[in-house]
Amino acid sequence: MIKKILDKGRYCFHESFDSWEEAIRASVVPLVVEGIADVNYGEDIINAVKEYGPYIVIAPDVCIPHAKEGKNVSETAISFMKTEKPVQFSDNPEENANLFFVLASTDNEQHLENLMALVDLLDDPAKKDLLMAAKCPEDLRKLID
Amino acid sequence: MLKVIAACGSGMGSSQIIKMKIDKAFKSFGIDVSIHHCSVGEAKTQINNYDVVFCSAALESNFKSAKEKGKTVIPLRNVLSEAEIKEKIQSHIIDKQ
Repeated sequence: MIKKILDKGRYCFHESFDSWEEAIRASVVPLVVEGIADVNYGEDIINAVKEYGPYIVIAPDVCIPHAKEGKNVSETAISFMKTEKPVQFSDNPEENANLFFVLASTDNEQHLENLMALVDLLDDPAKKDLLMAAKCPEDLRKLID
Repeated sequence: MLKVIAACGSGMGSSQIIKMKIDKAFKSFGIDVSIHHCSVGEAKTQINNYDVVFCSAALESNFKSAKEKGKTVIPLRNVLSEAEIKEKIQSHIIDKQ
């Protein structure tokens, strides 16, 4: 999964954001540039969070921006964004995130494989530490070496 | 068999991860379950057909009426934490049987 993110250039690194909405919009940019997601995909995600709360923050530090399958996306893919300063989704620090894995899905089988690879990655504390320390694509390469 | 819903906002990201994680945890307890993952909206309309709802803590307030109907609602702070999931299956399901 990380190899594909690197090979396809589906990543971005940012210092910080003034709002979680700005962070979500930035996180989808690599997929928008590639033509996989429409800019409206970011707005779909923002609207879902406004409606239901920050359920996309699945664990401390980890956010998986995503919206409905097949809407405003044309492929199944994951992109990665890292922020140096945590993005705040609420007053609850447990809902802060530095690691963003944007999920786009049109094919549920491929999407499930992506999710399983993501869970395996995040379940490994050493790998999560590497992600938290990553400042550039070369740092991500350490995860696949 | 225990009938379980894993819910998230869209039904495609967090809810599928919750399904993977709780499936493993229920197996480790030897509890027979069927798990359906879906969006909060679908979960609310389907709730009568299920016994238990798992969701992100952020979504818990959507299931107030489900709780009033006697359904077990289990909010997860950390969807990836096996420890939290096992502890909550123990306290919300096993200890109440």
